[in-house]
Amino acid sequence: MLRAEKLFLRRGEFMLQRLDFTVPTHDYFVLLGRSGSGKTMLLESIAGIQPIEGRLYWEDREITRLPPERRDFGFVYQDFALFPNFDVRGNIRFAERYKPIVEAEKLFEDLVDFLGLSSLLDRNIRHLSGGEKQRVALARAIFSRPKMLLLDEPLSAIDPTFRNAIMASLKEITSRYDTTVLHVTHNFREASYLADHIAVILDGKILQTGRAEEVLHKPTSIEVAKFLGFKNLFPASLLGFDQEQRYFTIDPNKIRFDGRCREGDYRFDCTVERIMGITDHYKIFASVGTHRFFAKVPKALMASTALREGAKTPLCFNRKDIGII
Amino acid sequence: MDNRGFYALFIFLGSIAALFLIAPLFKLFWGVGAAGLTEAFGDTEILSSIALTMRTALAAVAFVALTGIPLAYLVARHDFPGKAALESLIDLPVMVPHTAAGIALLAAFGNGWVQRMGLDFVDSTTGIVAAMAFLSAPFLINGAKEGFKKVDVRYEHVARTLGAGRFGVFWRIALPGARQEILNGALMMWSRALGEFGAVVIIAYHPMVAPVLIYDRFNSYGLKYSAPVAAAMILVSVVVFILVRWLNNRSNRI
Repeated sequence: MLRAEKLFLRRGEFMLQRLDFTVPTHDYFVLLGRSGSGKTMLLESIAGIQPIEGRLYWEDREITRLPPERRDFGFVYQDFALFPNFDVRGNIRFAERYKPIVEAEKLFEDLVDFLGLSSLLDRNIRHLSGGEKQRVALARAIFSRPKMLLLDEPLSAIDPTFRNAIMASLKEITSRYDTTVLHVTHNFREASYLADHIAVILDGKILQTGRAEEVLHKPTSIEVAKFLGFKNLFPASLLGFDQEQRYFTIDPNKIRFDGRCREGDYRFDCTVERIMGITDHYKIFASVGTHRFFAKVPKALMASTALREGAKTPLCFNRKDIGII
Repeated sequence: MDNRGFYALFIFLGSIAALFLIAPLFKLFWGVGAAGLTEAFGDTEILSSIALTMRTALAAVAFVALTGIPLAYLVARHDFPGKAALESLIDLPVMVPHTAAGIALLAAFGNGWVQRMGLDFVDSTTGIVAAMAFLSAPFLINGAKEGFKKVDVRYEHVARTLGAGRFGVFWRIALPGARQEILNGALMMWSRALGEFGAVVIIAYHPMVAPVLIYDRFNSYGLKYSAPVAAAMILVSVVVFILVRWLNNRSNRI
């Protein structure tokens, strides 16, 4: 278990404000935050590369001042930082000169097999593709038998065609190699597939942390909801609630129009502003007063409605489909 | 001016520069001839002078490599108060007149405390090495500094997370990454040290390094007797230079 207490760090304009969080052992923990919000610096602090204020504990032992080489935390940078003066094999086995690796040969064989590296071992790292570099960097970090793996946007430099395969490998790492993963990314889709727990960090503060599905489906603040791509965020007063500070959200797939609106807990008159046909569905933007709703209607259902741009029509949805924030 | 006029003028001017640089060396070897060179290589005074020059220049490079490379690493990796001033000071020896540097070295090291440590300075190889090191160190230090700056600091970070301590990271990541620049800097420094005359002659007329021997023979016997020494010295330097480059290129390919 990694525990951060009042982690504080400032570099130029960027600041992390007294972060408290806990990463359980064997967890796949994703820190979600915008690009350029200092997530790399946070990971470097945890690895011991950047000095910090506050305290860091690993399994109740304080490690705040421990140098990186004694923390046993593996690190994978966004652009992998493979050592140019070693070939692929030399990169992967780098750690064994500095610490005893339990069952090194077996681990090496297993990594080569798991990450599909057998044809690359004697290659110069200059001649690898992005995806290959990524696998080598992962193997290098795992070969050191880290207590925890720190991954900095590990999928952002990968060709989309290989991303799914690498995501599948990443998900397996914690159990296969008996380790804990702390993964930072700006991509909530990545997080929804990989994470056991998620912490959302915006403007140097952790706004929400919890089990992945909980954070992804029940954001506790409007900032988190926006960041997670929630559409249709409106004041709860629109539905007749009298709590001023609350918001509600409605899934674009659950909004119905026109003839499909015979029953519905909430019902508004709207003006259809724009209809955009996208592969198998239509994106529909409709205004209710000053609020602009966004809905998705499958193409098969469109035929049964008389929706067209400029039309005034009923818009409705059910109480069970809204989320209160 | 049109294309042809441009190239005609530039090739003409460029040829003058090239000829000016090549002609004296060519004339020197032509004048000395194969027989003169053979004779020079049979002259034990010339041979021991060239050997002394090589040895002392190498010692100067070794001294600066041992002390200046760590300095270069610190400057490349860290910001600290006075860093800009320090970097200018490192460059200073390139700008001062060599005889003035010789006087400064003599004032600093010639008056007792070096001798009390059991080292001779005036008219000794220690003094020669000091003169050479002082005037040509910036080539190696600056080369190493540029080399270290080119090594992505994140390689060092990753290496540390993999268990390597500061020394391990320096040996296996930083130094190999900066190798090319360090080697070029060392070669530059060494070739400059071979030719050092002004500071050396102030500190140590004897034992005679090759530039001093050339000057001595020229003064005492004239051009005819100094030319073979000069030719022999140039030949040896060029051969060593090419050899080191070749060895380095070969090891880079592997």
